Amino acid sequence: MIELTRNDFDPIKSKAETQGELRPSLSYWQDAWRRLKANKRALVSLYLVIFLLLFAIVGPWVWRVDPALQDLDQVGQAPGVDRRAVIIDEYAPWDGESAISGFSGLRLSAAATTQAVRLNWDVLEGANGHRVYRNLFPVGPELAFGIPIAEFFDNETLFFEDRLDVQPGTYFYSIVALDLQSKITSTYESITVSVTRVTTLAEAIENKLVPEGAFLQSGDEILLALHPLGTDYLGRDMLARLMAGAQVSLFIGIGAPFLFVLFGVTFGSIAGYIGGRADQIMMRFADFVVALPFLLFMILFKISFGIGPGESGVFPMLVALVILMWPATARLVRGQILQIREQGYIAASQLLGARPGYLILRHMLPNTMGVVLVTLTFAIPSAIFTEAFLSFIGMGVVPPTPSWGSMSNEGIKYMLISPHELIFPALLISITVLAFNLLGDGLRDALDSRMRNFE
Amino acid sequence: MSQVASAVQPQAEEPLLQVEDLVVEFDTYGGTVQAVRGVGFSVHSGKTLAIVGESGCGKSVMVQSIMRLIPMPPGRIMAGSAKLRGTEILGANIIDGKDIRGSEIGMIFQDPMTSLNPTMTIGDQIAEPLQVHRGYSYRQAFKRAIELLEMTRIPEAAKRARQYPFEFSGGMLQRAMIAMAISCKPAILIADEPSTALDVTIQAQILDLLKELQSETGMAIILITHDLGVVARMADEVAVMYAGKIVEHGTVDDVFYRSAHPYTVGLREAMPTNDPARQHKLEPIQGSPPDLFAPPAGCGYCPRCPHAMKVCEQSQPERFYLLGEHFSRCWLHHPMSPQKPESLYFKDAQQ
Amino acid sequence: MWGYIFKRLVQGIITVWFIATATFFAMHSVPGDPLLNDRAVTPQMRANLEAKYGLDKPVLTQYFVYLGNLSRGDFGISFTQENRQVNDIIRQHFPVSAILGVLAVVFAAAGGVLFGALTALYRNRLPDYIIMFLVILGISVPSFVLAALSQLALVNLNSLFATNILPVAGWGTIRHMLVPALVLGLGTMAYLTRLMRSSMLEIINSDYVRTARAKGVPPARIFARHQLRNAILPVVTVLGPAIAAITTGGFVVELVFAIPGLGRYFVEAVQQLDYTVIMGTTVFYGAFLVFMVIVVDVIYGFIDPKVRLE
Ligand SMILES: Nc1ncnc2c1ncn2[C@@H]1O[C@H](COP(=O)(O)OP(=O)(O)OP(=O)(O)O)[C@@H](O)[C@H]1O
Ligand code: SF4
Ligand SMILES: [Mg+2]
Repeated sequence: MIELTRNDFDPIKSKAETQGELRPSLSYWQDAWRRLKANKRALVSLYLVIFLLLFAIVGPWVWRVDPALQDLDQVGQAPGVDRRAVIIDEYAPWDGESAISGFSGLRLSAAATTQAVRLNWDVLEGANGHRVYRNLFPVGPELAFGIPIAEFFDNETLFFEDRLDVQPGTYFYSIVALDLQSKITSTYESITVSVTRVTTLAEAIENKLVPEGAFLQSGDEILLALHPLGTDYLGRDMLARLMAGAQVSLFIGIGAPFLFVLFGVTFGSIAGYIGGRADQIMMRFADFVVALPFLLFMILFKISFGIGPGESGVFPMLVALVILMWPATARLVRGQILQIREQGYIAASQLLGARPGYLILRHMLPNTMGVVLVTLTFAIPSAIFTEAFLSFIGMGVVPPTPSWGSMSNEGIKYMLISPHELIFPALLISITVLAFNLLGDGLRDALDSRMRNFE
Repeated sequence: MSQVASAVQPQAEEPLLQVEDLVVEFDTYGGTVQAVRGVGFSVHSGKTLAIVGESGCGKSVMVQSIMRLIPMPPGRIMAGSAKLRGTEILGANIIDGKDIRGSEIGMIFQDPMTSLNPTMTIGDQIAEPLQVHRGYSYRQAFKRAIELLEMTRIPEAAKRARQYPFEFSGGMLQRAMIAMAISCKPAILIADEPSTALDVTIQAQILDLLKELQSETGMAIILITHDLGVVARMADEVAVMYAGKIVEHGTVDDVFYRSAHPYTVGLREAMPTNDPARQHKLEPIQGSPPDLFAPPAGCGYCPRCPHAMKVCEQSQPERFYLLGEHFSRCWLHHPMSPQKPESLYFKDAQQ
Repeated sequence: MWGYIFKRLVQGIITVWFIATATFFAMHSVPGDPLLNDRAVTPQMRANLEAKYGLDKPVLTQYFVYLGNLSRGDFGISFTQENRQVNDIIRQHFPVSAILGVLAVVFAAAGGVLFGALTALYRNRLPDYIIMFLVILGISVPSFVLAALSQLALVNLNSLFATNILPVAGWGTIRHMLVPALVLGLGTMAYLTRLMRSSMLEIINSDYVRTARAKGVPPARIFARHQLRNAILPVVTVLGPAIAAITTGGFVVELVFAIPGLGRYFVEAVQQLDYTVIMGTTVFYGAFLVFMVIVVDVIYGFIDPKVRLE
């Protein structure tokens, strides 16, 4: 126990020092921002959103590759593939003479390159001709030869040159003996061929891979163009296309929701504030628009803008989204305003002579902000989805214009061979949607005025 | 420090409800709020205890934590005990396997508009405790609900029982709440600002109703209010709360006419009166209550107190007992304190 | 209540009229003569169409002809398929879409309410985290990716167990329907879960639940009688739009899973610019959705006394 002394009972002179510890008062938005910063998920999402915007806007300035340029040396290329190529001579026609001797059966007559794969073989037993197959997989017990690329109905021609879209990698070539009716028999031979990537000096110069007049000999190695995220089925650079696609997708995905939420808030707050007959008419109209079957009308509007299937209409899509999607926000805001209107502080404010505009802006809208932000949260992803959805069924952004939706649409066709063509745009769609959802959650929590008192 | 000698008065009877050293905290984004910082009081049958204090001083949290009604988390009961007829109920609310909430202790809330389920009829809501605690069938319970509505002076009770909350006015809703709270004839009724949300005439009716019911059933009432007028009219005892602590406690006469805490004096001064003998200029208390994130080491009222001393800043004042049960947590009552402001009552003062 | 239903039906008819009008004028603002399209329109068909729609008359007359046809329940004849009635097309393909849609809505609503309530009750604990993670996935992955992935998974599963566990595509039995309906309902389910969760959380902290606890009502009864019914209200209000989203979202699922529904037919009609089929299907879908919204609202009325008694 502390002993108390006479001194302890002296009165305190100045009160200021004891009262100094008042917390600074924060405005609504400052307070919200402070709270948002404390929310890790929301903050990460905010950074993601900023990154995505930079990706779309600044990206093309940094990665200056034409998204429409086709790199025929690298088609459907996965990211991170070896991009070395060997310089060889110009293509010269081939008469079937083998450059390599001393082998029999199905054999290569020269090193296999992307320029040409040259095969020689000997007559198969009992053959009346041969068919040549190429496959990506070994033949196996079920005799899957792959695609037939040539057939010869006599035993005279015993060579073949494959120049059909040969890509670097491993192929399995087979020759199968044909019978008298030119049907295939079970007699076959098969070899494994690994193809190296080559290019000619002229091509290399034309594709600006090496400077004009560079001194290179056959057999020298050069590097092909860099595609960090690979190329698509037409040899276009994925990164450049994703950036170009981001511009389209984000333009629709953010632009449209912004516009229609703005319109919805205006419409809803006016209806809710006026109330009565005007409110009823306004909301009836909103009900009508809500009743329009959304995706069908998106398509209908597109047609009525005179844009046929197979043509892109980014601007009409934006307009159609705004026309069709505002009522949800309007309804919500109106409902909130009606609720808030009943509350005591509004009546108090009205008594003090506050004007309607002031009441709406100062008291009602801030209190609907949480709800509006939640709508926006769902509106951005749903606009992005709508774009992707319409593009997927061929009614939205159509190739060659890239958008994440149209890229996914193309990618889904090559899903089994080069999955990255689907994965990248789908991933970007998902990340964007996710980021906006989490950011919206964070904003909602941060702006919720009911939680404000408890902090 | 010497404990101020003050013989504890022998109790006439065992209290119905005895709360001691209750501490309640809330976790929030900004840190831990100590909403209730060690309060204790007791309640006796047929008597009314009023709890008064500024908004946010922890009145609701205090009574709600006894009933386990605060949200947990973020809320937490850190310490204390609450004994109903000698049995501990804090944290469990169960005696002999039965929930005492609704049966032994009834509760009415401040805002009747939001405190009733909007999708359930009034009758069903009043009948619910009877079904839960007394094993009534639905029909028995509903019949009893109508009687209870009649008891609380709701006209056409049979018809009203089938209506929904949105069809009731505020005053009627509060009557329905009361009917619901007393349906199982509880020994204690906690009324958390039962009349604040209502207009003045309805307020008076509700308070009269409570008084009547009390004299009929002999229940104890804990009445939370801001309004000293209500206290004077209803209460037998008063506890004055400030910043999570009870700073003065005594009978109505003690607290009103022999106020022993500067905060109580401040409250009284801030309140209009129609007693000509006590007319005064209204004086609001300057400043605001302390931040309960960082509770002050000493007396919470210190920054606003006109008599603050050095010791007030440094250590918590004890309970200084005056006459009987009447106590004040204020260093001015310490024998060494040189000040004896005349606005305050002191133990050895001449009346 | 009956008065309310009647009122809603009258409103519904006016709404369908609005949809029909919007559809008509949207299609009539298409630049150029739809019949002068490069598509083969035989003289016979041309004559039929002109007679039926009064294509040589002013737009307003055409509009009334169109409305007259609609009011008799006649959605018109196909532009591209000779003598094919739009009504026949609908009769043939719509039931497929409807079954798929109903199944998806049931999945979405049941799952949404269940998972939403669970996450709220177990908030900030493991079940909440797991379900909300899945919900976020369900919300973030586009439906066609989901459809493609689930198809891929089915292919692999079937070949792994060397039997046809569930068919990869096509239509006919309940086994064909499960995966497409799940894929179709998943996005909505995720959305409803979120909604249910937040509505539930709000109600858990509401004054009247506190009152119920003060009455000593046991938790299970509080959940059933006080929380669930009130928490479901907002979910029910969005069920109308959710049904709309699901029915039209069915297009993609029908395309990917090769299901012969009306959605797939509509997409084909758009690709062939078969105007009357487009118009007919649009109005039909619109009318169907209006009807579903009325049904949902009537159900809402039964839950919310405020609406019922008004
Ligand atoms: N759920 C909660 N979360 C965080 N803090 C809370 C919570 N509930 C109450 N508090 C804190 O507890 C303190 C006491 O609140 P309480 O509601 O008991 O005040 P009160 O005395 O009843 O005020 P009033 O007269 O306005 O009803 C408040 O300052 C508040 O910050
Ligand atoms: S203890 Fe000190 S500061 Fe607190 S009320 Fe008494 S005199 Fe004032
Ligand atoms: Mg309170």
